[in-house]
Amino acid sequence: MAGASRDQALALLAAANNHGDLAVKLSSLRQAKDILLAVHPSFAAELFPYLVELQSSPETLVRKSLIEAIEEIGLKAMEHSSILVSVLLVFLRDGDSIIAKQSIVSGTNFFCSVLEELALQFHRHGKVERWLEELWVWMVKLKDAVLAIALGPGPFGVKILAMKFLETYVLHFTSDANDFEKSSIEGSGRAFNISWVVGGHPVLDPASLMSDANRIIGVLLTLLQSASSLSGCLTITVVNCLAAIARKRPHHYNTVLSALLDFDSSIEMVKGHSASVQYSLRTAFLGFLRCTCPTIMESRDRLLRALRSMNAGDAADQVIRQVDKMMKNNERASRDARLGRDDPPSSQLSVPGDLFRKRSMHQDNEEPTNGHGMTSKRIRYGHNMHSASHVQMSDSGQDCASANGVSPKVPLLDNDLTPVEQMIAMICALVAEGERGAESLEILISQIHPDLLADIIVTNMKQFSKVLSSPIGFGNLPVSGQTGSSSSPATAAPTITMQSSVLPAQVPFSTAAATSMAHSEMSTVINLPPDSKRDPRRDPRRLDPRRVGVPVGLQSVHMVEDTGAIQAEFDGSISLSKPPSLPVVTSVENTSTSLVSKTEGDDKILKNALISETDQPISREELLDGAKEVDHIPEIGATSDAALSPARTIDEDSAAPESLDIAVADGADTSPLIETDQHSPARSNTYVSEETSIDLPLPPPYVELTEDQKIRLKKLALERIIDSYVYSRETDCSHTRMALLARLVAQIDGDEDVVVMLQKHVLLDYQGQKGHELVLHILYHLHALMISDSVEHSSFAAVVYEKFLLAVVKSLLEKLPASDKSFSKLLGEVPLLPDSALKLLDDLCSSDVTDQHGKVLRDRERVTQGLGAVWSLILGRPLNRQACLNIALKCAVHSQDDIRTKAIRLVANKLYLLSYISENIQQYATDMLLSAVNQHISDPELSQSGSSDQRLEAETGSLETSVSGSQISEPGTSENDPMKGSQSVQNISTVEFHQAQRLISLFFALCTKKPNLLQLVFNIYGRAPKAVKQAIHRHIPIIIGALGPLYPELLSIISDPPEGSENLLTQVLKILTEEKTPTPHLIAIVKHLYETKLKDATILIPMLSLLSRNEVLPIFPRLIDLPLDKFQDALANILQGSAHTGPALTPAEVLVAIHDISPEKDGIALKKITEACSACFEQRTVFTPQVLAKALNQMVDHTPLPLLFMRTVIQAIDAYPTLVDFVMEILSKLVSKQVWRMPKLWVGFLKCVSQTQPHSFRVLLQLPAPQLESALNKHANLRGPLSAYASQPSIKSSLPRSILIVLGLVNEPHMQQSHPPSSLHSSDTSSSVHGATLT
Amino acid sequence: MVCSSNQNRSMEAHSLLKKQGFDVSSYGTGAHVKLPGPSLREPNVYEFGTPYKHMFDDLRRKDPDLYKRNGILPMLKRNSSVKTAPQRWQDNAADGPFDVVFTFEEKVFDMVVEDLHNRDHVLMKTVLVINLEVKDNHEEAAIGARLALDLCQEIEATESWEDSVDDVVSGFEKQHRRKLLYSISFY
Repeated sequence: MAGASRDQALALLAAANNHGDLAVKLSSLRQAKDILLAVHPSFAAELFPYLVELQSSPETLVRKSLIEAIEEIGLKAMEHSSILVSVLLVFLRDGDSIIAKQSIVSGTNFFCSVLEELALQFHRHGKVERWLEELWVWMVKLKDAVLAIALGPGPFGVKILAMKFLETYVLHFTSDANDFEKSSIEGSGRAFNISWVVGGHPVLDPASLMSDANRIIGVLLTLLQSASSLSGCLTITVVNCLAAIARKRPHHYNTVLSALLDFDSSIEMVKGHSASVQYSLRTAFLGFLRCTCPTIMESRDRLLRALRSMNAGDAADQVIRQVDKMMKNNERASRDARLGRDDPPSSQLSVPGDLFRKRSMHQDNEEPTNGHGMTSKRIRYGHNMHSASHVQMSDSGQDCASANGVSPKVPLLDNDLTPVEQMIAMICALVAEGERGAESLEILISQIHPDLLADIIVTNMKQFSKVLSSPIGFGNLPVSGQTGSSSSPATAAPTITMQSSVLPAQVPFSTAAATSMAHSEMSTVINLPPDSKRDPRRDPRRLDPRRVGVPVGLQSVHMVEDTGAIQAEFDGSISLSKPPSLPVVTSVENTSTSLVSKTEGDDKILKNALISETDQPISREELLDGAKEVDHIPEIGATSDAALSPARTIDEDSAAPESLDIAVADGADTSPLIETDQHSPARSNTYVSEETSIDLPLPPPYVELTEDQKIRLKKLALERIIDSYVYSRETDCSHTRMALLARLVAQIDGDEDVVVMLQKHVLLDYQGQKGHELVLHILYHLHALMISDSVEHSSFAAVVYEKFLLAVVKSLLEKLPASDKSFSKLLGEVPLLPDSALKLLDDLCSSDVTDQHGKVLRDRERVTQGLGAVWSLILGRPLNRQACLNIALKCAVHSQDDIRTKAIRLVANKLYLLSYISENIQQYATDMLLSAVNQHISDPELSQSGSSDQRLEAETGSLETSVSGSQISEPGTSENDPMKGSQSVQNISTVEFHQAQRLISLFFALCTKKPNLLQLVFNIYGRAPKAVKQAIHRHIPIIIGALGPLYPELLSIISDPPEGSENLLTQVLKILTEEKTPTPHLIAIVKHLYETKLKDATILIPMLSLLSRNEVLPIFPRLIDLPLDKFQDALANILQGSAHTGPALTPAEVLVAIHDISPEKDGIALKKITEACSACFEQRTVFTPQVLAKALNQMVDHTPLPLLFMRTVIQAIDAYPTLVDFVMEILSKLVSKQVWRMPKLWVGFLKCVSQTQPHSFRVLLQLPAPQLESALNKHANLRGPLSAYASQPSIKSSLPRSILIVLGLVNEPHMQQSHPPSSLHSSDTSSSVHGATLT
Repeated sequence: MVCSSNQNRSMEAHSLLKKQGFDVSSYGTGAHVKLPGPSLREPNVYEFGTPYKHMFDDLRRKDPDLYKRNGILPMLKRNSSVKTAPQRWQDNAADGPFDVVFTFEEKVFDMVVEDLHNRDHVLMKTVLVINLEVKDNHEEAAIGARLALDLCQEIEATESWEDSVDDVVSGFEKQHRRKLLYSISFY
């Protein structure tokens, strides 16, 4: 088997070497490689010489494949691979850069594997085999060769890789405790770390390797310095490699950083593409900024300066923000882990996390992309911090570590510590470094998030207070013995109160840095005194653990001196409460002895300070002055800091009682902490436990404060902090104060005074002093308490929250002008809106608010303000959206016009556009509209009868309503409502109208936004009561005006109006045509409607002016048939016409048309026609004499003559007597037309003649004798004058004899004329005969 | 080709280079894919991996006129013809190794470089990252894509870019009056 494959492999290798075709060579080599990989390494090794032969292959590709094959095979058969590695070395100097590059890559892999194997083999078997040693020698040679490449001349591509190799090399041989977790997680190729071989390796000597690595860093740095002779891409690579080393190996960070900074300043000298080179620096610096490793954090300022100088300040700031966020996330994560394990988490500590969560939610979550990798790194650093400061603890091997299964060496210590405590530990560690740490401490603290800083402070306060409070908290604990030994509580309490007055003295001067300094000083004080005390006696190294118990004791001692009133027992007990100093202590162990010498100095300083303090009178003010003086007196110089610190400690102490509640809550939580803390030193140093056991039994103090005192203390502290605001305006500082205040407020139950005090302060300068921010801060803090805590705590917080919020909101309303945006801003940004706040908003918007004098306070601007707030809340607070919407909607149907108008404007213009609530709004508006309609229908009396007037009056009890109602409604609707005339509009009372108005306004406002809602209006119109109709009529013009006639929805409604909506339709049409010419489309729709569905000509009236003569004439009878007032409208429209076409009909034509209507044929009552005529005659300016004459002239030629012709003639002559001559002509014409044959006209004719005598005599005389006789018989009064007229000689002579006979001027018997007899005629004659006989 | 949202600039270049026969991929470095919306404040946000087709349909449903007018719909259509969905640079580390990475914005450049630095450089293969600043609009993207193509062809023409990148970049800057940045990282 092996033999066969051996032969095969040999054949293939030969082919790869000798075959003419490159492709065949490559594939042969590949197959040979597969075979070699498949067989046992020892068999394969036999073939290696043949494989190696290939190195002289002239083809680049073959050699490249060979390198890859060598790497693969060699790694598998490492035992035999030294011969292969030698090939790599040869190839490193290959003329072809591809080969050289590939060999570096493969060499690197080889190198790593060999190194790993070396370490593992020794680890497992305790020895290293020869072949491996040999291989290692090769590797060292390889390294040297690569180094030579990196430094020597050659293709850049190869050099770049060579540098990469050097970077890898350095990373392998520089120790980094920080990194080993990472490597263990990775588990693959790069697992090697120098720490593996620390224990004395036969082959690998860590010291020499590390120094070698350092040498190589030096080489790289030299390369950088000589960048002026390098090409751009090489420089960039060097920079990148160095940056990578610095980031991963903080030890070298400072070296690298200063080299890079130097390089930055000499960037002009660079060859190549300098912009890119500089950018690589920028990238490196930004990369550093992203690291949270403490060493790197320290240099933030330098980095920032450098970045700013290269115009990357923004990017840098952004990175810093990201990093801060990461840190917070990290803290949160660790805290969450803690929450998961510990059952009752300390309320105080869980708060900030929630706050952060809130915050980060608010922030834009455009998280930087490479966030994940970063976080993991950060967390790692977090661990490191702990492993550094708690070495002893980790050594004690707590089992919890294995739970996480990461690495037994890295217990999750931070689970035992909250972020706050971590920070405290870190601060302490820095403090312990003395001078060296001071700068970094400052930077650190300036970078700490205000919330965290505040937590740190409060936590420290808690530590002071813990012992004080625990007896109170666990009241049932037997503390009598201890209390007995302690001094009388009565004296202690006042002391503390007095001290609290010192607090303000400090705060005004404290900036954030100052605070932190004081803070750090405090911890120094805590630590140093024991040093100084024990220095003479003991070896400093042994001292450290001892501080566990002692330091605080001492510190409180000097506090005693300070105030001259505190007892020894008290001191001792405080030592119990100082576990946080423990981490300090442990870390101090690592610090240099310089600390010791320093402590001596400090001791003196301390004494000085104490003296200076005690020298002062102890009364409050003076003590305060004392603190100030100490601050400034130059002689004390160096002591000032120390002086500050006692003051500060007192501050802390005095503030402590305020954290009583929390401390109690924390009791359970902190005590295990103390235990573990004490536990670990006990393990590490046995004598420590002795020491502590001596210290521990000291009786705890018991200072009982009455409730009153407590409250007073709290207030006092709060007051001072607030007052300090006024003086210091530095922003960085104010953040911290805010956080601090928020915590304090949360601890003080919702005392009215406190709230009032804060409120005043907040309002003092709401914008300028960041009152808003403060309020938010406090509210968020409270809210965090509410949601995060136990039941009783949260309910308490909720009460305070609500009270505080309401108070602030109210005072904002009272103090600030209505135009101020703060109100809505506050409501929009608070974490939670309680119902009461919404109620307040509701009141503001819609209800009357009365002041003490019972006067209505609400004014327009307030309503606007309230609605504005509602709006912004709807936009910004989905949770409260419905409630706010309800407020807005409620206002939109408010009975007061101005409120309603404003609300409607808001709802329709702004809110309705929001898709998520438009449905609700529409539904509500519809409901209101329907309720308006239905409500009235349910009361038929109201909608119908005139007596409703009375009824309503009775109901409303107001006399004037109905009266004024009728007055108001008349002008209100008369313009727009063509229907109102005959209807009983007047009957509708104002009350009812207003009610309707109130309910439907909103809906109409919505209609302008969504026209198809109008359909509903039309639908309900038919059954709507008068008041509603009236209100609708009032709204319609507005909405139509807003929509314009082209709106398809409107047109579709018009084309198919629901039953009962005719009046509304008419109005709409009227409005549409009023201003502008209606479109042909509209006209067509209306006409079609008229022809099909709605026979009512009313709807056509508005269109008439646009219709042509031919269109008008057919419908004219229908128009006549309309009620008179509508006809008049129609008439006006017809005559008016449009600007282009002129009037559809001339007045004369109108008259003719009226007369052309036949009652029988058109089915129109004669009365209607006469009324129409009269209507025409009323318009004397239009129907002038000329018009009448023209019309009559036309009509007289009609056959048959219009029925009303004579009537019109008579009317005409009545109206215009001047027409008499013309009328006579008409009459003559009628005579010639034998008017007597038309009985109805004949009557009119005679009447007319009679009326127009004496002008009509001539016409009369034209009548044939029988007709004349009949006429005279009917109008006997004519006979005399006519005879007299006829008897004039000139006339008489022209008259026929028969006439004369009739007139009795001739005595001959009258004889029949030759008139054709007709029934009519005969009857006539008979009557006349009859008449004659009568006369 | 890398830009922020893997929509306009990188896709324009992707499309062009693909047509020219380059083996090319494109990515975005943003947290989300953002497309302009009706206003500056309400962009359309999608997750990476949402198919272009889906976005196309979505936007066409929302406001066909607007998105046609501002060129988003045509762009999405073009994109869907190039590949299925936008890809995020940081989530597609496995796609590599690339020889050259083009970015079209300094911020993106930073992210790509930082991301590459944070990876484990197992392959030890050099990669050239070039930033060509291109404004995020259609016209500039078209110009940028052509420039990127030019630059790619120039780099392609060199025997080993490491030796000549400085010259190529400087020459390109002079010729086109555009600023370039480059960096070198490893896979």
